[in-house]
Amino acid sequence: MPEVKIIAKNFMDMVASLPAMKLDKLYDNAFICEAILRSLPPLAKKYVLQMLYIDSPITAKSMEVWVLPDGSSKHRVAIDRLIQLRVFSETVDRRKETTYKINPTFQTNLQKLLTHGEVLPREPMPSNITVRLPSMEDLDVYAIGQWECFLLQLISSAQAERPSNISSSMMKVFQRGLLSQRDKEAPRLTESGFQFLLMDTNAQLWYIIREYISNSEERGVDPADLISFLLELSFHVTGEAYNSNTLTEVQRNTIKDLTDLGLVKLQQGRKESWFIPTKLATNLSVSLTDSSSRKQGFVVVETNFRLYAYSTSKLHCEILRLFSRVEYQLPNLIVGAITKESLYNAFENGITADQIISFLQQNAHPRVAERIPTVPENVTDQIRLWESDLNRVEMTPAHYYDEFPSREIFEAACDHAREWNGLLWEDSKPR
Amino acid sequence: MPSAPTKLYADDVSLLVVLLDTNPFFWSTSSLPFSKFLSHVLSFLNSILLLNQINQIVVIATGCNSCDYIYDSSLSTNPGIENGKLPALCSELLKKLEDFVTRDEQLNKQHSLPPTTTSSSLLSGSLSMALCYIQRVFRSGPLHPHPRILCVQGSSDGPEQYVAIMNSIFSAQRSMVPIDSCYIGSNNSAFLQQASYITGGVYQKPQQLDGLFQYLSTVFATDLHSRAFLQLPKSVGVDFRASCFCHKKTIDMGYICSVCLSIFCKHHKKCSTCGSVFGQAQSDVASASNLKRKTPET
Repeated sequence: MPEVKIIAKNFMDMVASLPAMKLDKLYDNAFICEAILRSLPPLAKKYVLQMLYIDSPITAKSMEVWVLPDGSSKHRVAIDRLIQLRVFSETVDRRKETTYKINPTFQTNLQKLLTHGEVLPREPMPSNITVRLPSMEDLDVYAIGQWECFLLQLISSAQAERPSNISSSMMKVFQRGLLSQRDKEAPRLTESGFQFLLMDTNAQLWYIIREYISNSEERGVDPADLISFLLELSFHVTGEAYNSNTLTEVQRNTIKDLTDLGLVKLQQGRKESWFIPTKLATNLSVSLTDSSSRKQGFVVVETNFRLYAYSTSKLHCEILRLFSRVEYQLPNLIVGAITKESLYNAFENGITADQIISFLQQNAHPRVAERIPTVPENVTDQIRLWESDLNRVEMTPAHYYDEFPSREIFEAACDHAREWNGLLWEDSKPR
Repeated sequence: MPSAPTKLYADDVSLLVVLLDTNPFFWSTSSLPFSKFLSHVLSFLNSILLLNQINQIVVIATGCNSCDYIYDSSLSTNPGIENGKLPALCSELLKKLEDFVTRDEQLNKQHSLPPTTTSSSLLSGSLSMALCYIQRVFRSGPLHPHPRILCVQGSSDGPEQYVAIMNSIFSAQRSMVPIDSCYIGSNNSAFLQQASYITGGVYQKPQQLDGLFQYLSTVFATDLHSRAFLQLPKSVGVDFRASCFCHKKTIDMGYICSVCLSIFCKHHKKCSTCGSVFGQAQSDVASASNLKRKTPET
């Protein structure tokens, strides 16, 4: 059976899968062009820049001259990506020569950006109107808090300290795939749900945002509008206040949902109201590979399989409970032990040993993060051993045929199965 | 998934230090007006910032008496439109550049140096400033972009800076910082050719100055990661001539101290750098074979 896995797919893949009409419309917005350009592979960025002021189509042959023999595969990837995103259009003329031309809207928008420099999508509000603006630290704390509250609510609605404004139908959409609910039973995390919890914040955010966008049509919102607003939001400056009056109706509704995720903070003045983008929002357009939002770790694992987590967060406690036995909880410390039983529990739920180990490594307390290895070797080895214990028997779905009328038919059937790479076992001894 | 605690940024993140030649002696004779040149360069700087949001740019002006930082994208305030219509990069850079040029001119009057020595710009100074900046970035932490230096130079080489420039080049080579050079003057620059050759950068002399932006964006905007896959201009020939230490003249052939490798255009009794005493030249009619073979008599 194919394993169901949550892959933190790139946002841009989603943009690329939009219908051509909508994609062309998106490029009317200069910020989208900028975000798309930044998401491209390095070589593709280079080509766009190089062709920005060339109006006539360029033949594929002359482009191949630009690359060294070593780079031809990268060249292919870059060109494919550009065509996929409709930044380049490919035409084959009568003499079978392929030419590429850059999307004219995309081109003019980028040309403008080059000559005028970067501009902000919105003017920040002057500081004499906005009062009580939160400091950067406060804003970070707010964003993380909001996000964790959301996650906690996502995995177990009863645990959340304060209910967020996300409608229960919305929540159901997010929970789809992460939780499974049987009749009259408390919802249980699915395999992908566990994997989701162990991902880093950026990847989790992308997953949620993707669900949010793919669900937008049911709410009567155009996904292209949503994508363009989210990308635009990522170009705002963290910690500055922006007037809510500049938003459209749809955007104002979206902002409310984003507040619950911790992407923005809403504040109300005497007359005006404004929103303040947090680090989570401005990191959106940074591609997934950049882990610029690395947070401080909190877990210490000792060689005796004991685990100390310096955290006050309920969510952390829940996550640790997935694969360890939490023994006691102090105001700022969670003490647990990694045991065979707790791990078997985790494996049963579909978490792999590698996921647990990478979670422990990524969230290592700064004191142990300097050490190599961050997680003691005997612990990682034992976790892997316990996992392989469970995999001693491998199951493969199969069909069993017997009572062949003749030896020839038996051999022909075996050969056929072998050809299809489907022969698991044969017994040719005559009975 | 990234698991190691120390990780460099993604491959194509770059820190670009641009050295701009502001030598008035060159720009008064150049076919390309300085204002046009600036607009090409500003577009180029914009394009670098556009490619990646963590790309960083530092601009250093090279005058004929001094050099100074005129723009640093990591220090610049929010890219809002503050005064008038010019975006922050342009307005900030142009203002600093103007201040710099006036200061440089005043220095020129104060020193009242003979006009022959001032026709070259202080490349050694700006190169060292760029390297100092890069060293500071290296030491700032484990997460830093790949640095490279781009010299946009127009004025001719100043042979008197030979030693200082060579030292900068070697320290750039040691810290693996490529020096790209875009030479827009009339002849080739031996210093820049050597700098790019030694550090593995690209040297190019644009044929059509009107299309300077296209040269800059095609050749010099290439990040270090992509250079492994792209066909970039190769150096046709490098002028390896050195300047002598005694009269700062560029020479094809000369005398070299075998102890400290200092170069002289004439035979000396004693090395002016390390103090080694040389023996008598075997014949005063300098033949090519024994010119370089001088042994100290200690």
